[in-house]
Amino acid sequence: MLSRIFQDIGLMSAIGVILALIMVLAQRWLSNYGEVTININKKRDLVVTGGNSLLSSLADKQIFIPSACGGRGTCGACKCKVLEGGGPILPTEKPQLSKEEMADNIRLSCQVKVKSDIAIQIPEEIFNIRRFHSVIEEIIDYTYDIKGVTFKLEEGQSIDFKAGQYVQLETKPYGKVKQKAIRAYSISSKPEFNNRIQLIIRLVPEGICTTWVHTALKVGDKVDFTGPYGDFYLRDNDADILFVAGGSGSAPIKSMLEHLREVGTSRKMTYFFGARTTKDLYLGDEMRDFEEYFDDFTYVPVLSHPTEEDNLQGKTGFLMPYFKEAIRDPKNTEAYLCGSPGMIAAVTKSLINDYGIAEGKIYYDSFG
Amino acid sequence: MARMQPGVITYSGFLGKDIRDYGQIIADDEMVLEELGKSAEEIADRLEFFQQMSFDAFEASTMVEKIYDVNTEVVRGYLPCPFMHQGVYRKSYTTVTNTKSGKSFTYSALNIHLIRVHHFFEGKESHFRLEPRELVAELF
Repeated sequence: MLSRIFQDIGLMSAIGVILALIMVLAQRWLSNYGEVTININKKRDLVVTGGNSLLSSLADKQIFIPSACGGRGTCGACKCKVLEGGGPILPTEKPQLSKEEMADNIRLSCQVKVKSDIAIQIPEEIFNIRRFHSVIEEIIDYTYDIKGVTFKLEEGQSIDFKAGQYVQLETKPYGKVKQKAIRAYSISSKPEFNNRIQLIIRLVPEGICTTWVHTALKVGDKVDFTGPYGDFYLRDNDADILFVAGGSGSAPIKSMLEHLREVGTSRKMTYFFGARTTKDLYLGDEMRDFEEYFDDFTYVPVLSHPTEEDNLQGKTGFLMPYFKEAIRDPKNTEAYLCGSPGMIAAVTKSLINDYGIAEGKIYYDSFG
Repeated sequence: MARMQPGVITYSGFLGKDIRDYGQIIADDEMVLEELGKSAEEIADRLEFFQQMSFDAFEASTMVEKIYDVNTEVVRGYLPCPFMHQGVYRKSYTTVTNTKSGKSFTYSALNIHLIRVHHFFEGKESHFRLEPRELVAELF
């Protein structure tokens, strides 16, 4: 009886192994798409192995389309226009695409599988995006939940970016986290320092990447990132500048100010920084240095929730009423905003309706 | 479910130290809701109402119905649903404080979806676990 049971178990196991082998072989044979061609901007052909996502196929060829979720189809950052091929729009893409985008054949490159030749259109700036290897050089505690982290690039590498742009940091497995995560952070150092970058990273409750930075990352650790990305950058003209930021939104503004100190400027500049309490203020010394250095730069911290201990002599409440002191000619003023969607919406509305600044002169990097 | 586990969508995952599976957590919370005479949808609506009031005030601190102090903080990025639903939810964290009792609740946009669609309040001691009994007592 017992031997019969063992025989049956052995037979079932053998059938299972054979079926698994058949499936592996079938998958290998059926999903072998061979070499396929990705035509980019009707200018250049890339030959890749078929079957992978468009995002990863391009990344294998050192072309990095922005992606903040590592290819899960959740961030919507990796949109690109597919001119030919790519198959129908998938259900996994639809939540991230507007009707207009779908009509224009905009796709999520992480969801499009390259199974046959495909033609795509991507912005030329994407060709400047590269992968960098770095070593953590310095970690500064700016506040109880904000750190400044300096990444020194590997010998021989340099990064060419505009003040205001961002990079995508790749985490390594740590603690409970077994897989890599990719998150976007604005560069807070000046472009002239092209062999290192600084990022300002605020701890997000339960955030996989920010918890890694705040609890696991140490000086000397090796970290990879890609970049630069983004169209939030300082425009080169003589207009007065209004900088407005909240939280970790100071990062690109610091980069812009450091850049302007390098190249020199006589522009009138005012920086409004919104924080909840004095505990949330940081970079105060750097801003005072800028005030001393520039001919016409003013730093205006504004607290939204000052406590009694703050004993604040300065400005409180909403940022917008204070803009009046800074705007001398709305037609010759531009604004650079970085922060939460609510802050961006409120400030933009006020700048246009209350102060007469043209919408086209308001540039922003929204967290939303 | 793998996406509920620590380190996949959030650092600590959605189950906390709960030894029950998510199906049992949902079933147990549904029993509490039935006892309280409130539906998960009603609770989600209430949480969304506070969140929307805060968005309408551009995320600044706002007083609602004279007793609820509401703040929302938005950080960069989005979270997907661990139940594989399509769509993503902004990383917005709303804190509602009942100023009479001093009791506060912090929840994300994803919490609202999880409660409304999946009746899932997360596992015990999960970072964003919301106790249905406390929500009903303090926010209605």
